[in-house]
Amino acid sequence: MRAFLAMLGIGLTLSAVSGAQAYHRFWLNCNYDAPTFMTTMTRDAGQDYANAARYEGYQWGGGCWNYDDVDSYPHDPPEQAGTHGEGGDCSGLTFKTWRESTDDWRDGRYYWRALRNAHGPYTAADFRAGYGAPNHTVAKSTAGVMDAFASSTHIGMVFVRSLYGGDQIVEAKCEACGTNIFYRTYRSDSAYGGVGRWGWTG
Amino acid sequence: MGLDRLTSALLLCPLVFLAAACSDGGGRPEHLLDGRPAAELKPVRNSVVAFTRLLEHADVHDCLPTADRGTVAPEALVVERTGVDSHSITFADRDGSRVYACDGGVDPAGERAPPWCGAVVGQRERGRLLDPRLDVVCVDRRHLPLAYVFVEPVARAHWVGVQQDRYVELYEVVAGLPVRIASTRGIELENARAVFEVTQYDAEGRELIREPLEAAVAG
Repeated sequence: MRAFLAMLGIGLTLSAVSGAQAYHRFWLNCNYDAPTFMTTMTRDAGQDYANAARYEGYQWGGGCWNYDDVDSYPHDPPEQAGTHGEGGDCSGLTFKTWRESTDDWRDGRYYWRALRNAHGPYTAADFRAGYGAPNHTVAKSTAGVMDAFASSTHIGMVFVRSLYGGDQIVEAKCEACGTNIFYRTYRSDSAYGGVGRWGWTG
Repeated sequence: MGLDRLTSALLLCPLVFLAAACSDGGGRPEHLLDGRPAAELKPVRNSVVAFTRLLEHADVHDCLPTADRGTVAPEALVVERTGVDSHSITFADRDGSRVYACDGGVDPAGERAPPWCGAVVGQRERGRLLDPRLDVVCVDRRHLPLAYVFVEPVARAHWVGVQQDRYVELYEVVAGLPVRIASTRGIELENARAVFEVTQYDAEGRELIREPLEAAVAG
């Protein structure tokens, strides 16, 4: 019995260590490289970029993820930006997908690699107000693929427009639900407004 | 004038300039953003007290997104703060579950009408903000980045101080709301983050807690 308990203790310790190491290994790969200035930005490419971030987790104030389809650290305490978990939050995912600049007066296109930890200067409320040179508000009825719906506390981008009341929305929703594509009815929710990005080239 | 006296005069000039530069009390500002004299709280060395007043029936709609305007009662208490480089108003919604701040300064994108350059909304649970709601989109009169953030006062705190370049800026705790402070130091625009050196004091200026506040734009 004593041997069993000892082995159990060692096993638990080792499992905890490997989790921590996975977390630290993930964060070590995040970087602060400069973005790449782009002349093009298509809605198709935006869909691909956001789709690739699926299953990579959610991090409040975050913006770094890899492409292994696993949240490397899924149990961060919510609303803490310094925990170095994997994934973007709602506004961070939108910022990177929309290839925006950290300067709110620039409306050029800047490609951020997945492992570049970037959130951008905008909150969901900023997006909702159409704040920043690259952003603007749109009528919800006309919001299409890679436009977004934003409230004071959340933003999600239209992945596929539906004719039946809701939309397939790609969004970083919460620590427990991660980043994924969900069926949502933001289009008919009065708390949400339509927002878009200027400068799509296709 | 002989050569010796001219040399002496030339040697004395830098000393005179140095003396003049040092005569302003270590660079403590003498005025707040709106021109009023900058008061000092004597127990806190080299401090500047931001002007704080409580407004009733203030019009906060200018800075709020249209969707949020109905959530704030017309009679809501509004805390207005004016510092050396900053100006803000703070208020809560009808049930106190959200706290709003409108941040003053220059909007580099030129989209927000003066005096406001930013607006934030913070969610509260059990009376405390979930997140300090960092705002880094404003610049000050010199076009330097200006960051705003909420600080939750600790028990018995009457003043929240933030270390600026040459002085400590003090904000009074009023109306049971978190305190909106601002700084031009410690801002990482590229990473939408900022670090504030915050100290909280009781009503007599005795230090209660000193800690860095690291904040990131989120949500």
